[in-house]
Amino acid sequence: MTIDFDDYIKRFDKHVEKYIPPKKDWAPPDLAVYGPKDPFKVPLKEGKELQFDAIKYQFKNHYENNKMYHGFCKELKFTTDKIKKYEDLEKIPLIPAEFYKEYPLGKDFALWLANIFTGEIPQVKISGKNPNFDDIINSFNASGLAVAYSSGTSGRHTFIPRDNRTFFIAEYAAAKNAICMAYPVYSYDMKGYLLMPNPFKTNVFAGKVCTIYYDAISEVKSAIDKEINTELIKLSMTGSGGFKAKMIKKYLAKMNKKIINDIIKWIEKNNKEKNKIVFAGAPFFLYEVTNKLKEQGKTFDFSDKGAILTGGGWKVHENQRVSLEDFRKQMKEVLGINSEHCLDLYGMVEGNGWNIHCPEGHYLHIPYTYYHPMVLDDKFKPVGYGEWGRFAFLDGSTFSYPGFIISGDKVRMLEHCPVCDRPGPVLEPEVTRASGKEMRGCAEELRRMISTDAGGD
Amino acid sequence: MTSLFEMKEKGYIPQKMYAKLFIAGAFSLSKTLLLNIGDLKKLRNIPPGSQRYIRPKRDYEIPKFTKDMKINNSDEKYLRPTLYCDHREPEVVALAHKLGAYKKSDKEFAEAAFELVKEHMILEICPLNRVGETINRGTGTCFHLITVFIALCRAAGIKARYKIFAMNMIQAWYDSVVEADPLVKKWYDSMGYFMLEGEGEAFIDGKWVVAHVGAEAERQAAAGIPITKFGEDSIGNWFFAIPGTIMYMESIPYGFSGSTKLLKKIAPGSMERVNISIQKQIKKGHKIIEESGGVEAYDKIARSQKGAKKPELKIESKSQIVFED
Repeated sequence: MTIDFDDYIKRFDKHVEKYIPPKKDWAPPDLAVYGPKDPFKVPLKEGKELQFDAIKYQFKNHYENNKMYHGFCKELKFTTDKIKKYEDLEKIPLIPAEFYKEYPLGKDFALWLANIFTGEIPQVKISGKNPNFDDIINSFNASGLAVAYSSGTSGRHTFIPRDNRTFFIAEYAAAKNAICMAYPVYSYDMKGYLLMPNPFKTNVFAGKVCTIYYDAISEVKSAIDKEINTELIKLSMTGSGGFKAKMIKKYLAKMNKKIINDIIKWIEKNNKEKNKIVFAGAPFFLYEVTNKLKEQGKTFDFSDKGAILTGGGWKVHENQRVSLEDFRKQMKEVLGINSEHCLDLYGMVEGNGWNIHCPEGHYLHIPYTYYHPMVLDDKFKPVGYGEWGRFAFLDGSTFSYPGFIISGDKVRMLEHCPVCDRPGPVLEPEVTRASGKEMRGCAEELRRMISTDAGGD
Repeated sequence: MTSLFEMKEKGYIPQKMYAKLFIAGAFSLSKTLLLNIGDLKKLRNIPPGSQRYIRPKRDYEIPKFTKDMKINNSDEKYLRPTLYCDHREPEVVALAHKLGAYKKSDKEFAEAAFELVKEHMILEICPLNRVGETINRGTGTCFHLITVFIALCRAAGIKARYKIFAMNMIQAWYDSVVEADPLVKKWYDSMGYFMLEGEGEAFIDGKWVVAHVGAEAERQAAAGIPITKFGEDSIGNWFFAIPGTIMYMESIPYGFSGSTKLLKKIAPGSMERVNISIQKQIKKGHKIIEESGGVEAYDKIARSQKGAKKPELKIESKSQIVFED
C-alpha cells in the first residue's frame, strides 16, 4: 500500500529535525522553505506570496548588514523601499557569479570572506604564517560557519560563506525537493550510495551538502572516502605541481577503478538482501558501472526498490556527453530502475535553490516558494518565458550572503511544465554553460579530478 | 656599481614568487623545446617566400631634449631610475615634457602618458632594451611598454611601479597571441597559463591606479572587448590572474632581459610569427572599429555586451578575524 504523502513527509522531517529550526524562530525565509509540505505543489498565488516575503526579508537583511552589497545597491540607486510588489523583485541588484571567484590569497582571503559575509561574523582564529584556503575555511567552519566551494575546472574556486542556518536550508531543501519528487520511493530503511566525496571530509559544496543524506537514510556509503581539499583539487585538475601532481592523478585514477568495483559489489549485496537502494551524485560513476555490468552480462531488477538522483553535469568522458534519456535507458536496462525514479537535480554553490526533474516529464521544477528564477538576455535584462538566456535567481533563503545571482548557465524557462500538473515554472531538462564561461558542474569537476582522460596528463 | 643593498632595495633580486614562476616557465619551455626539436628546427626561422614582419613606422614625434627641461632627480622609492627604466634618459624627459610634465595635474599627465603608450606604441615581441630605445622604436613587448609608461610618470615626478602576475586569457587573445605559433602554443598549453604578464601603476591622489598599456584599441576590438582606459584593469577583462601570483615591483628584476635575448636566439621565427599575427589583429580591429562608427561607438557596443556590473569590494580588517602566527 502506498504511504500517504503527509505521513511520508512527516517521517522525513522526523529524521532530519535537527536541520529545521524551532517554529517559533521562523522568519519569512524559514516559512518559505520549511512550511510547504510539497514545495512544488503550493498554489501559485500562495507560493508567490511566500517567495515575495522571503526575498524582501533577505534583501533588507543584506542591504542593512552587508557593506559590500549596500554599496552596490547605493551605486545602482536601489533601496529597500523600492520593493513594494511582486514585480519589483526583478529590480533587485544581481551579483554576477564571477564575483565570488575573485578573491585574494593568504590572510587577505580570510578578510575577503569576512567582508562578503552578511551580519556579524563570529570570532575566527587562524593559525600559521601563511594560511592556505583549507586552513582558513577550516578555521571559519570550526567557528560555526559552513564555508563551501565549487572545485572549478580551471582551479579557480567559487567560495560562498554560509552560516549554519543557511547551510541547513541548503541541505534540507536539496533532500526535501528530491523526496517530494520521488514520492513514494523514499523510506528511512533504504541503503544509499553517495557518488560524491564523503561530506564529512570535504568542503566541496556538492559533497558537503549531502551530510543530510546520512540522517535521512539508515545506511550510506560514499564513493570517495579520502579528504578532498583545495590543494588536492589544484594538483589533480590544473596539472601544476609536477611529480606530486602526476602521482596524485595516478592515485585518483586507480581509486576511480576501485570505486567502480565497489559500487558493483554494493549493488550485488543489496540485490541479494532485497534492499531498497538510492544513488545520489555524479552520473558518470553510474554510467561506468553500468557499462561494466553490461560487459559482464549482468542485469538487476530494482524497479520497485531503486532510485537515482543525479546532479552536476553529463560528461562521461573528456569528449563524450551522455544524454539524459540515454542515461535513464541504460539505468533501466542494467539496474532495472524505472525512468520516473531517475531524477536530475540542478543547483549550484551560489544558491540554495534545488531545481529537480519531475518524474513524469523530466522538466526541472523550480522551488518557487523561496526562489525567484529569471532568464536574462545579453544585456542582462529579464526575458519572457520560452526564451533562451542566462539563468539568474533571487534566493530568499540565504541569510549570510546575498544570494541574488547571475549564473553562467544557459537555460530556457517555461511558465508551466508541459507534462505534469505542478503549478510552478520549469527549466528545460538540460542546462548548458553560456558561451565564454568555463566548464562547470560538480560532477564534471569530480570526473576531471579522478579520470585519466582529462587534466594535465 | 650597484651595491647589494641597492639591488635588494630596488627589487633587482627577484621576489620568491617571481623566481618560482620564472623557473617553472623556463623548465616548461626547455621541456617543450627538447620534446619538439624537429618542430623547433622547422619553426625557428621563417621559410623563404613566407610573409615577414615589417615593423610599423612610429606615429609620434619625439621632441629634442633641451637643458631647460626639468629632470626628476629624486631618489625616493618609485621615483628613482631602475633597471631598463631610467626616466632621466633624454628621450623620456623630452617626451614627458611634450605630454605636459609639471604643467598638468598628476592624473591628467598619467592619462596622457597612458594614451600615448597604449594607442601609439605597438606590441612587438623583442628582447628587452633601455627605455629610450623603445621610445625611439615605437614598439615593444608589454614590459617595454609598461616601462615607457612608468618612466614617463617618474619623469613627471609621479610615483610609478610594475604589477606582475601569471595569467590565463580569454579565447580571442589566445587565438591571436598563442595560436599564432605552434611552439608558443605548446609552451602555453603545457603550463596552462602564461608565466609573466604585467601592468603599470601610477600613484595618483593617494592611490595606485592601474594602467594596462600593452593592448591598443585595435587589438581590443579584434578580441571583442571594450577599449580600456587609464584605471581599468586587464585582470578580469581579458586576462585572469592565477591566484597568489600578483606582485608589485619597483623594477624589472635581473634575469628578465637575458631570457628575452635567449628566446630571440633560440626561436626568432616564433617571435616573428607572433608579431605578424599582432599586425593582422590590428588590421582586423581597425576594420571593426571603422564599421562600428569609430572608437567611442565601438567601445559603447562592447561595454554593453560585457559582463554585468559587479560590486566593488574594499577589504577591511575585522576584529573577529584573529591571526595567530
